[in-house]
Amino acid sequence: MNIDFFATAIALLTFFGIAALMAISLNLEYGVAGIPNFGQALFVSLGAYTAGITYTRLMPLLAGQEVIFPCGNTLNPALQLRTEIMRTLPGVGLANFAITLVIAAVIGGIVGYGISYLTLRVRQEWYLALVLLVGGEIVRIIVRGYEPIICASNGLSGIAQPFNWLDNAQLASILFALMVVGFAFAAYLYSERLVRSPYGRLLKAVRENERVARSLGKNVARIRAQIMFIGSAMAAVAGVLFALNIGFVSANDYVVTLTLDVWVMIVLGGLGNNKGALVGALLVTVLDRVTAIVAIQLNMLGSEFEFNYLRFILFGVILLLMLRYRPQGILPEPQHTTLAHDMSDAS
Amino acid sequence: MPGPLLVDSLVRSLQVGSLYALMALGITLTMSVIRLPNFAHAEYITVGAYTALVVSLAVSSNPVVILGLSALAAALVALICHFAVFRPLEKRNPSTYTMLLASFSVGLILRYILFLLVDRFDLFDRRIAVPLEIWYRSNSIILTNVFFWVVPTTLGLVLALSALLNYTPLGREMRALANNFELARVIGIRVERVKSLTWILVGLLAGVSGALWGIYSSVNPLMGWLAILSVFAAAIMGGMSSFVGTILGAYLVSFSENTVMQLLNYYLGLDFSFKPAVPFIIIILVLLLRPQGFTEFFNRARGLQR
Amino acid sequence: MILELQHVTKDFEGLRAVDDVSLSVDEGAIIGLIGPNGSGKSTLLNLISGMASPSAGKIMFDGHDITQKQPDAIFQLGLARGFQDPSLFFQMTVLDNTLLPVKYQHGEHPVWAILRGSWMRQERAHSVSALDVLKKINLREHFGKRAADLSGGQMKLAEMARSVMGNPKMLLLDEPTAGVAPNLAYSIFEQIDAMRRDLGITFLIVEHRLEILFDFVDSVTVMHMGRVLAQGSPTEIAANDEVREVYFGD
Repeated sequence: MNIDFFATAIALLTFFGIAALMAISLNLEYGVAGIPNFGQALFVSLGAYTAGITYTRLMPLLAGQEVIFPCGNTLNPALQLRTEIMRTLPGVGLANFAITLVIAAVIGGIVGYGISYLTLRVRQEWYLALVLLVGGEIVRIIVRGYEPIICASNGLSGIAQPFNWLDNAQLASILFALMVVGFAFAAYLYSERLVRSPYGRLLKAVRENERVARSLGKNVARIRAQIMFIGSAMAAVAGVLFALNIGFVSANDYVVTLTLDVWVMIVLGGLGNNKGALVGALLVTVLDRVTAIVAIQLNMLGSEFEFNYLRFILFGVILLLMLRYRPQGILPEPQHTTLAHDMSDAS
Repeated sequence: MPGPLLVDSLVRSLQVGSLYALMALGITLTMSVIRLPNFAHAEYITVGAYTALVVSLAVSSNPVVILGLSALAAALVALICHFAVFRPLEKRNPSTYTMLLASFSVGLILRYILFLLVDRFDLFDRRIAVPLEIWYRSNSIILTNVFFWVVPTTLGLVLALSALLNYTPLGREMRALANNFELARVIGIRVERVKSLTWILVGLLAGVSGALWGIYSSVNPLMGWLAILSVFAAAIMGGMSSFVGTILGAYLVSFSENTVMQLLNYYLGLDFSFKPAVPFIIIILVLLLRPQGFTEFFNRARGLQR
Repeated sequence: MILELQHVTKDFEGLRAVDDVSLSVDEGAIIGLIGPNGSGKSTLLNLISGMASPSAGKIMFDGHDITQKQPDAIFQLGLARGFQDPSLFFQMTVLDNTLLPVKYQHGEHPVWAILRGSWMRQERAHSVSALDVLKKINLREHFGKRAADLSGGQMKLAEMARSVMGNPKMLLLDEPTAGVAPNLAYSIFEQIDAMRRDLGITFLIVEHRLEILFDFVDSVTVMHMGRVLAQGSPTEIAANDEVREVYFGD
């Protein structure tokens, strides 16, 4: 068998970090605040497309160069340009990266915020789910057909991670992995802190009984919009990291299955539990990557059996088993009380 | 726009609309009687199509036999899913999202089992073996026997379904369940029995529509999954409860996808690759502007009412 | 006059649930609202608290026109309501339930929430008052308990404690003693009286237990078929023939 274990482990860690970020954002939205966000594919893709645009249109400008249209006839010169910039001007690359993150977060957040208000009109709750799923597909089809964004169905290559200017490729991948995990960890800390605060108390009340919460003076619509802003911003950041990780932006990476994957992560790991979200993200990432590797290895060994198909069946079966026998997930929701309780114990 | 092109797209809209109607009625039934947004419905359709393929290759090319066996196969699959997955879950009073995720998972499993079987028996890129004949030809249109299978069958099934709902005891029980679940149980309607029979009905509809869809276009394991959002669009137009609304919605969706798309392409140069976006845009518009669909207009009509 | 209803009407698809009701409540009063089932009392409460909006008429609270306002805005103005069914947040602790309604909490913000310094002091102060209130109703030891684990009577009291924490000027109560043993019912009303005395809260109470209600209210309004049938002191109402007929079919 021909596997570079170290590289695989680093890759796994990176994918885990991105998955964790997505899982924590969904856990905040649904597990804590009770908003069923079926729009991961949409928000993640917005982040990725933002990266596609900034790396081809903004970065050359930051480097004092002309912007070259990245598709069609000028595809190769544009690709060469950005590859060169990233190799020789790491400062520009990093600056572009930072700006991309901010823009993606803002765009994702605003779209999430807007959708939250739009869907106040929707009658049954799960219609919101459908709107988001469908919205993601609409964006995907438009981006796939309208060239100027990411060269339609061809996609954009050469969207490299911010450390790739290092001579030591392994070091570059380690640094990127650590950074991604850092982002995930920051999201985790934020979410944990939020839950124990008065705002967390507010979210749980809204989740449990929206009508009573409103009668106690809480502006439920605004709270939901706030959470959607934050969650969508996180998802968009995950999208940027995702695109940079594979170095390629293609509309077909952001399909409905992505949304399902993230839901599986939090359902498996445990709703309302941030650690559970991490566990779920880890499980799904490992399952996904390991079975992919096994499938490739089996194919290389000449096996006729399409293991790929079995992967999905396995996925579905595991999810059904969890829903049936342990619907609360691996780690059930902790009885997190707000900090007020710690203060009251003393007095 | 040239006449033949327009007529051709209208014929296509009619055929596809009929198929969408059959598929969407299954969804509407599921939503109103069983209260489940079932994304695995897509796979019941695909099962119907592949049964049609296998039957046509190995057993007979008689369309009645093909349709019948496809209907039965899909009904069987629907029943199995009910007893194996949905019923045990329903007993635990799950949230709508649990059921949504469950139905997605069931769909996923069925889809890839089909992939495995298709791969194993080398059924990729095969067409259902039915004789293709031209039954009507004029200056502007050509109608094949397929057209005359699809549209009248749809009509017939819709009428049969309507008759069943309005004039049989089972139909009454189904409507009672759709109108008021708790009350129905109290009156003594055997809820489990009605549910099982409803699933059979849903499966039959899906099977027939899958077989016809396969005859009309082609067969691949993703065909149900690819069509399902158009189908949901149609069902949403009917507010998930009105039959007439669903059927009209189906034709509207099909018309938008085909004729309107054709017009947009011819006059505005809009590329056909945007065609899948049409049902999605319809869904969003309906949900945001008129979430109850068109049920109000058909409140007094036949069908299940809320 | 802290609350005033002027010719309030509510129609539901051809049914007139509330018919030209006019009512005024003085500050610091305890008013009873009674009537047979279906007379429109609950609908009236919904209209006042903003959960439904009137088809006609005007509602004024503390100088503000609240006819079309949303429930959360009305709460912020100082008008709070209780529900007939238990409305605690059962998955949360007693203390969290009690702390929730407090207005203007700095920590109730998605950004400031993680900067503890911005709200710790306030939260501590609020906790102290919350625990004080809980002490008055003998629930202080249970502050960390999940609300679902309380007894029925304790839940009712906890709901009252929660209503007070929002610093309301007026409370609408919907059958506060429903399903509660008589002695506990009496003590609930004693709490209500104490709140009026110590905190100056005005009360409008829908209640069926007339024998207890009449001991505590300043005046009673009787509703029947959506209209106001009679208004007056408890003695006057008890002696009113029309009221007796509606209630007892005399």
